[in-house]
Formats: sequence, C-alpha cells, structure tokens
Amino acid sequence: MNEPMKPTHIATTPLCRRRFLRGMGVGMALPMLDCMTTVFGQDATRPQAPRSMLLISNNLGVLPKPFFPSNEGAQYTLSPYLQELKDFRNDFTVFSGLSHPAVSGGHSTENCFLTGAKDPTGSGFRNSISLDQFAVQSLGQQTRFPTLNLGVNIDRANRSLSWTRDGVLLPAEDRPSALFRRMFVQGSKAEVEQRLQQLKERGSILDAVREDMRGFQRRLGANDRERLDQYFTSVRELEEGLHAAEEWEQRAKPSTDREPPKDILDKAKFFEKFQLMLSMAQLALESDSTRIVTLMVDAFATPVFEISDKEKSGTGYHNLSHHGQSKEKIAQLERVDHRQMQVLRELIEQLAAKPAGGRRLLDSSMILYGSNMGDANVHNNDNLPVLLAGGGFKHGQHLAYNGANNTPLCNLYVSMLQRLGIETDEFASGEKPLSNLEMA
Amino acid sequence: MSVAIPLPPRRGWLPALGIALSCHLAVAAAPSLEPPDPIQSVIREACLTCHDSETAKGDLDLTKVPFELGNSKSRARWTHIHDRIEKGEMPPKSKDLPPEKRTGFLKILGAAIHDADLADASANGRGPVRRLTRVEYENNLRDLLELPHLDVRDKLPEDRDSHGFSKVSALLDMSRVQLEGYLDASETALAAAVAGDVKPTPSKLVRMTGTDLFPALTTYGEREAMFFARNGRMVPISNAQLQKMTPKQRRDETLELALFRSAAWPFYGYPRGFRAQHDGAYRVRFSGRAVRQMRDYRIVPAYNPMPLSFRARQPSGPDVSGDVRETGGWMDLQPEPKTFETTIRLKQGEVFEYSLLGLPVPFIRTDGGFYYDFPPMPRDGHPGAAFQWLEVEGPIPSQAWPPPSHCVLFGDLPIRPATKGSRFSVEVVSENQARDAKRLFRSFARRAARKPITEETLQTYLNLIAAKLKDGASFTESMMKGYQAFLCSGHVLYLSEPAKGAESQFAIASRLSHLLHNSSPDKRLRQLASSGKLRVASTLHAEVERLIADKRFERFVEDFTDQWLDLRDLRRDIPDNRLYPEYRKDDYLVDSMDRETRAFFRAMVRENLPATTLVDADFTFVNDRLARHYDLPRESGSAMRRVSLPAWSPYGGLLTQASILKLTANGTSTSPVLRGVWAMEKLMGDPPPPPPKSVPAIEPDIRGATTIKTLLAKHTESKSCAACHARFDPVGFALENFDIMGAWRDRYRGMEKGQKITGIDRAGHPYTYYVGAPVESAGKLLNGSKFENVHELKKLLAAEPRQLARNLLNQLTLYATGTPVRFSDRREIEVILDRSKANGYRVRDLLHGLIQSRIFLGHDE
Repeated sequence: MNEPMKPTHIATTPLCRRRFLRGMGVGMALPMLDCMTTVFGQDATRPQAPRSMLLISNNLGVLPKPFFPSNEGAQYTLSPYLQELKDFRNDFTVFSGLSHPAVSGGHSTENCFLTGAKDPTGSGFRNSISLDQFAVQSLGQQTRFPTLNLGVNIDRANRSLSWTRDGVLLPAEDRPSALFRRMFVQGSKAEVEQRLQQLKERGSILDAVREDMRGFQRRLGANDRERLDQYFTSVRELEEGLHAAEEWEQRAKPSTDREPPKDILDKAKFFEKFQLMLSMAQLALESDSTRIVTLMVDAFATPVFEISDKEKSGTGYHNLSHHGQSKEKIAQLERVDHRQMQVLRELIEQLAAKPAGGRRLLDSSMILYGSNMGDANVHNNDNLPVLLAGGGFKHGQHLAYNGANNTPLCNLYVSMLQRLGIETDEFASGEKPLSNLEMA
Repeated sequence: MSVAIPLPPRRGWLPALGIALSCHLAVAAAPSLEPPDPIQSVIREACLTCHDSETAKGDLDLTKVPFELGNSKSRARWTHIHDRIEKGEMPPKSKDLPPEKRTGFLKILGAAIHDADLADASANGRGPVRRLTRVEYENNLRDLLELPHLDVRDKLPEDRDSHGFSKVSALLDMSRVQLEGYLDASETALAAAVAGDVKPTPSKLVRMTGTDLFPALTTYGEREAMFFARNGRMVPISNAQLQKMTPKQRRDETLELALFRSAAWPFYGYPRGFRAQHDGAYRVRFSGRAVRQMRDYRIVPAYNPMPLSFRARQPSGPDVSGDVRETGGWMDLQPEPKTFETTIRLKQGEVFEYSLLGLPVPFIRTDGGFYYDFPPMPRDGHPGAAFQWLEVEGPIPSQAWPPPSHCVLFGDLPIRPATKGSRFSVEVVSENQARDAKRLFRSFARRAARKPITEETLQTYLNLIAAKLKDGASFTESMMKGYQAFLCSGHVLYLSEPAKGAESQFAIASRLSHLLHNSSPDKRLRQLASSGKLRVASTLHAEVERLIADKRFERFVEDFTDQWLDLRDLRRDIPDNRLYPEYRKDDYLVDSMDRETRAFFRAMVRENLPATTLVDADFTFVNDRLARHYDLPRESGSAMRRVSLPAWSPYGGLLTQASILKLTANGTSTSPVLRGVWAMEKLMGDPPPPPPKSVPAIEPDIRGATTIKTLLAKHTESKSCAACHARFDPVGFALENFDIMGAWRDRYRGMEKGQKITGIDRAGHPYTYYVGAPVESAGKLLNGSKFENVHELKKLLAAEPRQLARNLLNQLTLYATGTPVRFSDRREIEVILDRSKANGYRVRDLLHGLIQSRIFLGHDE
C-alpha cells in the first residue's frame, strides 16, 4: 500500500479519451427485438424516416460573435466556432434569428428551451409540455425507454429540459453508470421474474389508489382539484408505462462491448462529464434503447472548471459568462466555446461513422444543439444560437432569419416533429415548419 | 420573498391616452374592469405619463390593466402597483403624488384588494393542498414505522425550490416519476420494517489491538502520516515481518496505532478484518489519546484535545465508491489515554474508518514521480492521535422482538419462518385474516393519514388485500401490498388547509407538527385533535412549547435554516487553494460554521431572543477551530460553546457568521452585490426586483484586487442600476471586510498585484499570493444613514426591529403554510407585530403569534 497508487483522479490523457470513444460499439443480444429487425432489416435503398433526436442545450450558450456566420445561404463562410465542424459542413445547418417569442427573463428561460412556454418570470407561470414529451406522446412508446432525459452538472431539483403536459419537471439523470445499467445490464431470470411480479403488483396498487382518490377529490375545493388532477394524470401515465415496461422486461437487453462507465463526481471536470454523457446518449441511440434524448448542460451550476489539461477557468462558468467586456474573460470563454464545439464534432464524427440501415446513424438522428441564452453577458434571450445536424435534411447552409424580429424557434421544432413522421403543423409557439429547411 | 410579478396585459380598462375622452363611454360600459374613481384619477394624473400604451415604461401599460380584483392574476398585478407606490418607488418623482393623495389612494386601493383577497381566501382556502417534500415524506415514514434511521429520500426526485424554500405548495408537483418514487420508497420502507428473522440477529463483538487496528502498515503521506509505536517510539514493521508474525504477535497489546492525517482522499483507515454483516447500529468502544509527533517519529502527549469521528463507507480503497457518511458524532481525545464509547450506523458490507478532524492531507507530488509528501513539521510537532485498542459490537438488537417497526404493521400476531420464495424472512400468522386485516389496517391508515379515514376508503384497501389473499398470497404479502398502496395515496402525500369543521383539527395538528418537527403529529397532538381541543389558545400555546422543547425540534432548526438561510449551500464552493491556502481541505472549519449557525438559531427560538439578534448580538457559539477563525481567546475541544463576544469582535449576529459569509461568496472572490442581496432579502425582507434587461452583471475581478468599489460605482452612475443597487450594494460593502470564509481582512488578496506573500501551506504545498488594496467598507443606506464599517451597519439594521420581525414572520408563514403571505394576511401580520412589540419582538413570541393567527389556523371562526 505504500507504493504509488494509480492516479485515478488525474485527468485522462487524450489517448484514453480517444480509445474510449473508439471502443464504443453496440451489439445485439439474441433474440433480436422485433422493432429492431424492422429498422435494421429495411431495404437500404428505400428512404428511411429519421427515427431519433438528441436535443442539447447549454444554459449559458456561447459568445454570439464568434458563433454566428457573417453571411448567409449555402455559400456562407464558416464562423470561427463553426470552423471546428468544417469537416461536416454539409451535415449541419446553422440558424440565426430564431428565438422563443415572449420567453425572456434571463436565466429563468432555461426550463423553456424545449417548451417555448411564455413569460417564465410572470406570476402564476406554469411550464408546458416539452418537445421530447410531445413527440413521445404522438409516437407512443416504441423503445425500452420512451425518452431519456440527461444532465451534466445539473441542479436536478430545479432544472430540466423535459416537462410533462401539466408542466411538471421530469428530473434529469446525471449518472452515466445508472444509465448504462438500465440500458445494458441484463438481470438474472429470477430478477426479471421478480420485476415482472412487482410491475403486476403496482398495476393493482394504482387501480386501488385511483378508486380511493376519486372519493378524496370530491371533498376538496377548486384549487385543490387542480393539484389532484396532476395526481390522476400521474397514475394514468405510470400505468401505461407499466404495461410497456412489462413487455420490455421480457425481452433481452442489447449488449455492448463498452465497459460500464464510472461516474465523474467532480463538477470541475465539466468537459469530461459532457463527453461521457454524450457517449451515453450515443449508445442509447445506437442500441435503439430510446429514440429521444434530451441533455441539459447546466453551465450555470458549474463552478470553476477545467478548460483543458493546462487551464482552469478563472471563476465559475456563470460568472465567466458575465464577461462585462473584459478581454481576458472573453478570451477564456472563446476557448471554452471552442472546446464545446470540438466535443460536438466528436459526436457528429462518431454518428457519421456508425452504419444504420444502410446509411449513417447520423442520417437517421437529428442532433439539435442550442441555448436559451442569446447573449448570457446581458441576459438576452433573443437570437439564440442553434445548430441542427443530421436527420436527413438538406444541410450545409446558414439559415438567417430576421435578427430584429425573430422567427419562433418552435417552427424548427415543428419541422423536426414532421421529420419524425408526426403529423402536426404546430407546437407551442410554432405555427408551421421552417420554410427553407428541406429534406435531403 | 415575492412571487408577484406583473403579467402581460390581457384586457384594458383605459384606452390609450389621447383618445381617452372619446372612449370614456365605452369604459363606463364595462364597470367591472374600471377602478373606482379616486384610484383612476390618481393613475391618470401621476402614472400615465410613463405607463400609457405609447411609452409603457417597464413594459407596463396602465391603460390595459383590468381592475378585476376577484381574479387572482389581476389582483397580483394591482398588489404590485400598490406596493411600488407604498414604498415610494413610484412615481419616481415624489412630488407627482403628494403625501395626502398617496395615503388616500393606498387606503382605498389597499382596502379593495384586501377585501377581494379575503373573500377569495375564505371561499377557496388560503392555499391549495400541499404535497409533502421528500424530507417530510421520509420523516413521516420514519415516525410512522418507528425506523428513526430509515433512508429513502434518494428514491424521490428532489423538490423544486423558490428562493431556497422547498415547502412551496405551488412547486410541489406530482408526476409519474414522482409517483413511481413513492412506490419505490414505500416498498423499501415497509421491507425494512418487517422483522428480519424470528429471532434478533445475534450481536458479535470484535476486539482489535496491535496491527489489527489499521488495514495496512502505512498510508498515503509517507511514514509521518501513520505508524505503529511502542512506548512513544515508532516500531517499523515490514510486510515480510507481518507475514511471519503469529496471530498473537500481530495483536500485540503494547503497540499503539499513531495517525497524523485527515481521512480525505487518498485514505482508507479502517480496523482490519471487520465488515458490517447487517444494516444497523454498532457500538464502538476504544482507547485513544491526543499526541504530537516529534522528530524521528517520536510521540509525546499533545497540548490540546484532538477531535475525532468515524466515517462509514464501502471498503473500496482510497477511491471511494458509494457514499461516505460521518457517524458516531464528534469526540475529543485527551492527552491522557481514555476510553470512549459511541454508536455508529452501518449498512451491510460497510466498514468504518478513523477520521481525525482538522488535520491536513498530504501533498500530491508529481515532480519526479508520483507520491504523497507530508507537510513540514510545525514547531510543536504534528498533531495526531494514538489508539491502544478498539472494540466493535453489533448489530445492536432491538430491546423487544419483533421490533417496534414490525408491530406497527402486525401488532402482536405471532411470527414464524417464511416459506421459500417469500420476499420476507418471516411469515405473520393470522387465525382470522379478514378480521386481523381490518383491525391492523385501520390503525395503520389512521396514523399514516394523520386523521381518521372513512369506511369507504378503508374498504378500498381491504379489497386490495382480500384480492391478493384470494390469489393465494400469504397474509404478510397481502397486508404489505395494502400498506404500500396507502402510503402512495393522497391521504399520506398531501397536507390540506385547515377548513371548517372537525377535519380542521387534524389539519392544524399536521400543520403544526410539519412546522416544528417536519413530520406527522405525535400521539398527544393526535389525541388533542380527536377531542377537538387543539384550537383552544392556551392548549395550542402549551403544545407549541412542548414541541419546541422536544428533541425532534432539531429537524425544524435544520430544515428551516437550510431553506431560509441557504445553509444547505454551505459546501457548494471549495476555497481557491491558490488565494486561500490556509483553508485547504479544512472540512472541520466548515462543519463548525454549520453548527454555530444552527446553535445560534436554536437559541433564538428556545431562549426567545429579540429579532434584532439576527443582525447584532454580544454572544455566539464556537469551538476550538472557530475561536481561532474569529481571533477569539483560545477554546478547547470540538463542542460548540456559548461565548460572550468582546466589543471589538464583528461576529455577533447571524449576518456576520462565517457560514453566511461563506455561502454568499464563491470560494474565490466575494461580491458585495451577492452578499448585500442576501442580507436584504433574507434578513431585511427587501428582495431585489429582477435585473433590468440589457444590463451586464459586473463582478469583481480577482486579479484586479483594487477597484471593486470603482467597478460597482457604475451602478450608481446609471439611474436604472442605482434604483436597485443602492438598496443592497452598501450592505455588501460593509461585509467586504470578511474573506470568502468569513475571516477578517483589511486588504484584498490577488494573484498579480500588491505585496508578495509566500509560504508553505498546512498540507505542504508552496504558495504565492499578493496582498493588495485596502478594503473600503463605508457606505450609505437607501434612507441616507451613513456607516463607516460593519459595526456601524449592524447598529443601523438593528434599529429596525419591526422590519426584522416582519420579515421573519413572512419567511415562517411560507415555511409553515406553503403559501406566501397574501395581501389579506398583511393586517394579521401587523397585529402579531403589535402584540410582540412591547417585549421587543422576540422570536418565540412571533412564532406563537403566527400559529395562533388566522393565517395558520384557517378561516374557521
């Protein structure tokens, strides 16, 4: 014990990181799931609807100037940040002039990024359904998990990208190890049976409380009924979930050659946590454990953090974002943002390298990256930075909308919903799909 | 705190200025939207210049705000208008609204809002039902099942909070994830309640001596960090030697274990060979002494006691997997060997390790290899501890068997070993299942629901149990299913507003117990509620006194200070080691700060101290570490003691306690803005309005260390900044004399400019920082009062006892009822204040006043 120990808490070298990303891969355990057979066994020549989306938001955003390109259209010049993605120029679209109408109020908007719910600082504000939950409601549960809601450094009590129809927060998972277990670790036969028994028991428990609560509700006032409605909704949704869970419990989980991840608890290892969580999201899509993933990068809750092996931020992320035009802070933020773009690039690269149904996984997966902050320094919520990669759209352009009179970001969400095969013309403040975002 | 923020206008009562006259008839035609005339005329004269539809300053167009006080949103809007005018913030030029007109306006508008709000509250209740927080749910289960250490809160999602308060009805939502959490938590709790066997688990005693006292022969940090000794001299033992030793030699009772480092990573120092076989309590007895390590690994008696605790954890080596919990409390080793006894709590498979408090961690060297270096020796030697022997015995069985938790579920029914395949280890034997089920379930449900339940409800769950029995399940399994269902029902999950009738007695009992014990009513409260006597003022008063004196009152102290004062954020930021090397890994200091504030607040209630104690006092609670931190005369030992503060000490009153100063800083720098806002919002009840759009936040730059005041002077240059910042910046300036951990400073530290300071910190790391510009602590409050320093500021704040008391009442109201103070509560609050004025606005008087008020007891009068 007195020999030097392995420094497990020291930053991993780039070599480790690369090896770990390469090592990722998912195989299917027998028997194959019906739905997977259909997905993977499809005729490669037939155009295939994108089946998944990954929705990412960093709640402090990026510096607007080095992010947005100076000119628009297909011939646009890559901005300094987008240079990081230059190899995939034709695999993403960058948007400007998008925002959520009437969603202002500084950081309070972070929970509205996927909901578009108006006036988050107003009295009596209530959030509304988020894009991921809306999609799964329309599509039904096709995979083991209807959605996965993830977070990095997230304040789980108060922040989430995912909200129910009643505007109730769905907490984000921030432990890669737990996600991995849920996705890949197959229980023993006895465990599966026990779990099935438990699900059955829970079904009848829910029946009983529902019956009982009807009587309970009759004795309550109008204000209380609203609270109780949430309860009934929860009972119903949970019951539906139980049925699906029962079916899935009887099917084998997919297997992977990826080692189970170790959780990183140190919030200062911001980028390592971000990368690890993205790799979990990627595994989820690859293994078709779910088709809808949200990921809130809670920069706001990130204290002093490591920007590279050699550099630590001078202050916490939030403080840094309020650069107050300090040259040093801006320079440091630029390095942070560049690193973030590199992390995104790695993700896109991975998805482009994975085959899926005769195409690339990237073509069947929409990757949205954005923020509720247009300019965190001044608490501005207009002109949000937004990127959409993959998903089989005609990419390679800068779609510039009016910077003074923004187009609803939810129009993009409508486009994405339609791409998933959901027949809808509206979502939250979105009234139509974005006109010049076309299918490839 | 205030949640009333204007909403976007929906409908208008006044047409835009300019066409006002021509449209007057139209306005008159919709009288419900139009304010009565004195209000309308004042608004026309004093407000519309800025707040008409053309200018609409601050997004407020008063021509479009409907006057529908029966509608809660409209009422919130008018309350906001009322309050801005009452505070004198609007109109900006006070001459635009002469005092007599202002008073008349406020009186009429205030009365109208009050009446409408009161009507709404008495018709619909002051607030909606409130879901239990996860801490409350866990406490309810702990008390119901008589499992005081039950641990299920992590099965539930964290509750949302508003300004730190998580007991807010409006935020305590329900979702499928939440409900699933209740299914998991109740299942776990019930499984823990059933007897684990027909007989108690036999307790085992293990005694460690010699080399068994530690899992290895060395620990990280070189020889100085740990060794074995005999007669005060180190005894070197190699691995090879250990292998050759007989068991007796290994357990040589003349050997002492000498330890000189903290339990922070990398470390694992648990007695060799012990692991908890079961969850439960274990008794630990040991002999130890406080020592100093001198040159050549010699140990001599210490000058001061050495505080120590234990840490429960998985035996996973230096890299911890799973949780690490301090257990067994703090004990002070003395210079002479002494026997100590404590009880620790372990989960199955866990070990417990020595945790010496306040000692450094070794320096991780990466120059020329990778190893852990021990810090240089202080003049008096390295402080540490030596252990002679240690015994652990457990799990300590329950006095009765089956344990009380089992009897809550199954009364006195006999048990026998369960048949194979059962989820439980025992089977409860019932001769008459239907009768027993009914009897047991009724009594369980009544306690779990905190009130009697209807026959209809009872039957629903009995049906569930009967169906399970019919399915062929055992009596135990079937009952457990019924219990689990009930623990996930609204009867348990929601607290209701005291309404009219007999039910209100139970609602009051629950509200009271959740306020003061953060859990369900105890037996006496339940009895009083049943007999309908709880509303009798003298009874209620006596009950409050009783609950405050009870040991469960600690839950209130902890939870309320967590929520109100943000104490749960105390460990959020770790001090920057470059700027503040003296605080490197000093968890003992942070833990001591935590205890000081809780002890201080506990004393405020129990000793009924004046509300002004929040900002100024001539005493506080310190131990050895905190006394040093505060430059007070030396104290001995880890226990918090009440000490009188000398007049020069700035540490009297909650405002300047180290805990508060730490949690309002960020570990690297302090911000007068953040500290000022905290003080004004949490203590003075004057929260800042949200920052205006398009104004960047200005934070001090740690490297500058010269110009914080000049940076913030920009706040007063611009009018829109000054309007708010003049309220809190000055308070923050007075607190600039405290560093990120609350120690006094006269100058700022930085990394670039000033006088260079170098040294070696207590963990052996070399450091360099610079002492720069002097702190400027003078300022001027919004009301014009000037102060030179924090002492003078405290006097100014303490001169507003009524406001301090009012704020405390507001905070308590939200915590106790889940609904912020409503407009119609305001008169009630003033009445409570009037009554407690003569005695100097004392904290327990205020608490009694609130509990005896309509706000707490509801509208049943």
